[in-house]
Amino acid sequence: MKTKLSARRNLHKALLLFIMLICINLSACGPKMITKGDKYPLLYEEQPVSILILPPINESTAAEAKDYYATTIQEPLSFWGYYVFPYEITTEILKMEGIYDTELLKSLPLQKFREYFGADAVLFTTIKKWDLSYLVIASNLTVSVDCELKSTQSNATLWKYNGTVTVDLSGGNTGGGLVGLVVKTVVTAVSSAMADYVPHARTANYRALQSLPYGKYHALYGKDRTQQFMDQPPLSDR
Amino acid sequence: MNVPLVIVSAGLILFLSGCAGGQKMYYWGDYSDTLYKYKKNPSEQSLLDHRQSLERILEESAKNNLRVPPGVYAELGYIYFRQNKKDLAIQNFQREKALYPEATLLMDRLEKAAVLADKPKDDRGRTKEPPPPDKTDRHAEGSPPAAGPGGDKKVAP
Repeated sequence: MKTKLSARRNLHKALLLFIMLICINLSACGPKMITKGDKYPLLYEEQPVSILILPPINESTAAEAKDYYATTIQEPLSFWGYYVFPYEITTEILKMEGIYDTELLKSLPLQKFREYFGADAVLFTTIKKWDLSYLVIASNLTVSVDCELKSTQSNATLWKYNGTVTVDLSGGNTGGGLVGLVVKTVVTAVSSAMADYVPHARTANYRALQSLPYGKYHALYGKDRTQQFMDQPPLSDR
Repeated sequence: MNVPLVIVSAGLILFLSGCAGGQKMYYWGDYSDTLYKYKKNPSEQSLLDHRQSLERILEESAKNNLRVPPGVYAELGYIYFRQNKKDLAIQNFQREKALYPEATLLMDRLEKAAVLADKPKDDRGRTKEPPPPDKTDRHAEGSPPAAGPGGDKKVAP
């Protein structure tokens, strides 16, 4: 009787220990949480109000990604409380000035954008992935974007984050067996053909922006220093 | 008994309500959708659709007592500008500036460019000067830089 009881107790102890270990393990290996104030002190220091979105840098294999992605970023950025210059106008002007390749701007002084447009900061976006990966019985759509906000005053990086979305396009389970497999492959092919990236690009933007401190037109402007988010380095740094 | 569950669900509710709070800042309607369709398939029809979606933003914002989102007046003005509807263009540029002082520098440039692009191309009814040289017109359209140092003062945030 006694041995049975103590055995049970031991089992409980072991279980408890096991759970504790898992918890510790999760907190150690999982993404770290960090506050906006700790991660982006420069942004709080400079308090940019207006942001100019530069034409995206396209590192994906899809040529059309640049123009399409560009239609998705102005709207979410405005919700973070910044004055966002109308992209349709500013890109047109930049094009006339011979600036279409944003990559070339990365190392140049950004002061010009302050003088010409009155922008406090410029947003660099880099499309890392905009593609479908085909597997035998499934296909994934991935949109991944690095975002970097740079000051036109100091050229410093004020904020940087990545937004990635991966969607399984293979649809629901179509049943087992070989026939099921064939059907599933067909379904995959069909939904890939119709795959529309833009809605997923929008989601990717919201994922990236979650770590961006709020701007002047947001109710939480200046009050979000202690807000936490997952500290995740942009894809390019990994 | 189910204390943890209660706590978790309470936390979840707080979390979710916290997220939803900021979303009613602006009405953007179909903006990004019509812009995407215009980019995918640029035509008079898709441009008209996009212009209408901009106008709908103005209507809905007024109806719901919301601030017009940044850039909407400016973009509408720019569409008018390219259609040589100078007065409408200038009117919208000025509205953008009034609502968002951050836009002053750019709006002043655009306004100046609109004033310079004097000769309307598609004012069908009226007499128009025989060859409004397309090139110079384009130039005036595209290069608002003509603005002098007068408009260079930056509005303090």
